[in-house]
Amino acid sequence: MTKILAIVRRELIAYFSSPLAYIVLTAFLLMQGYIFSIIVSFLNNPTTQAMTPLRLFFGGTVFFWLFLLFTVPVITMRLLAEERRSGTIEVLLTSPVTEGQVIAGKFLAALLFYVVLWLPTVIYVVLLKQHSSIDLRPVAAGYVGVLLIGFLFLAVGTFTSTLTNNQLIAAILAFAALVALFSIGLIEQLLVSSSWIRDALGYMNLWTHMDDYAKGIIDTRHVVYELSVGLLFLFLATKSLEVKKWR
Amino acid sequence: MIEVEGLTKVFVDQPVVDDVSFFVPEGQVLGFLGPNGAGKTTAMRMITAFLPPTAGRIVVAGVDLDADPVGLRRKVGYLPENVPLYPELRVEEYLRFRAAVEEVPRSEVGDRLAEVCDRCMIQDVRRQVVGTLSKGYRQRVALAGALIHKPAVLILDEPTVGLDPNQIIKVRELIIELGRDHTVVLSTHILPEVEQVCERVAIIDRGRIVADGTPDQLRSRMVGNPRLLVELRGADGDGREALLSLPGVTGVEDRGACSYVVEHAPGSDPREAVFRLAVARGWVLSAMTTTQASLEDVFVRLTTREEPPVAEGV
Repeated sequence: MTKILAIVRRELIAYFSSPLAYIVLTAFLLMQGYIFSIIVSFLNNPTTQAMTPLRLFFGGTVFFWLFLLFTVPVITMRLLAEERRSGTIEVLLTSPVTEGQVIAGKFLAALLFYVVLWLPTVIYVVLLKQHSSIDLRPVAAGYVGVLLIGFLFLAVGTFTSTLTNNQLIAAILAFAALVALFSIGLIEQLLVSSSWIRDALGYMNLWTHMDDYAKGIIDTRHVVYELSVGLLFLFLATKSLEVKKWR
Repeated sequence: MIEVEGLTKVFVDQPVVDDVSFFVPEGQVLGFLGPNGAGKTTAMRMITAFLPPTAGRIVVAGVDLDADPVGLRRKVGYLPENVPLYPELRVEEYLRFRAAVEEVPRSEVGDRLAEVCDRCMIQDVRRQVVGTLSKGYRQRVALAGALIHKPAVLILDEPTVGLDPNQIIKVRELIIELGRDHTVVLSTHILPEVEQVCERVAIIDRGRIVADGTPDQLRSRMVGNPRLLVELRGADGDGREALLSLPGVTGVEDRGACSYVVEHAPGSDPREAVFRLAVARGWVLSAMTTTQASLEDVFVRLTTREEPPVAEGV
């Protein structure tokens, strides 16, 4: 455990000593600020129908997904690709650390960075709470959803980062994989014929997952899907690291 | 301390390390000498439990690689060839990171840090960011990292490559000093380095150990085949064959400009015959010297290849 924490710590230092972290943070806050301003003008409009405004925050807009699809590869691309390019992976894996511990440390660091990304948005919730009577329970569920989707996406990114020693290629692979993962659920809407395929694809529809979380519904089927697929990718990342240790 | 038996690594049908066996007793400094691509790095990566061998057995400090690869990693400190470091960390942060992954107990980290910084002469850069250090300092920081957990065995892959002459001398002195209380295996293709630093040399070529012994032993093995340096003016072209036909001569190398290196069987002395040959053919014998084989000759002789070199599969 100390070893995993050491890896997490080192990884976080690496994140915050590169300008990329600040660019991502800034862009994220700009986007969320814009959405927040939409929400505020929405609430100020007397003709607005009753709904939970913060749903917009969590997956209710295309911005949310676009941003996630672009940001996650940027967060994860460096994780193992850079270690392999610079050769530090050789130092790491000749110390008494297993491949699983390396992946765990790297992934936790990415997840922590992702949490840091979302942390400032809590201010919006506090602001809204002071000036209106929003229900905090769906907001909490929304954050759970954000965390779970992040878990899944970051696991995919961690895996693609083990496949190459080029960060850019790792990012592109992650982006392609995430788009595939995201759109596989959307295909459901195009299919009408075979019902069981529809059901299967519907189960994988991340848009409805996030929508449910934002409404305050934490459906265990969704949770199981995100966690199990995420863990599968982390397992694959470990195996990939074991096999591809040599450059 | 290090036992290696029948170590083999095959990359896509191509044996890079081929049936290598050796034993390094505690406290010895062994030099792996070989041309680039001979398989030195691959062999070292297997001994450090980074690459799994295709076949063979490795035991380091009593830990068998097959039984306990992570346990073996605990015994070994490894400095890879390209000196990989995390550029964004400070030297001290880097060493603390290494201490944590190498399982140094928290209460000892401070002492260990002070000791390795002292040994590797990097106290003055402890607060500096690794990415801003010179190559010489980077080398020593990486070495300090490899020493942080008091490894029984140190594996150094080309530890002086890319350093300036002053830095090379410093690093060599450091290795000699480390050799007093560590078992060290280092690889190099620099011959004087081996003669200065190592008590024992294993010459490795195309994945095989072709010679193994102290530098003196290897040299004396070559003295068995004495050599003559001969200059025959006027012998253009014909010199080599004429010299080869002399009794006792086992080999002639044409070095151009009428100079030849004549190798002859031990005990024979072809000098008189060379003189008479020159007189008979009307050549001018302008120089004739006996030479002693250097370690360089041993190396060149053992590793010269006719076919194109096998690429190291890394």
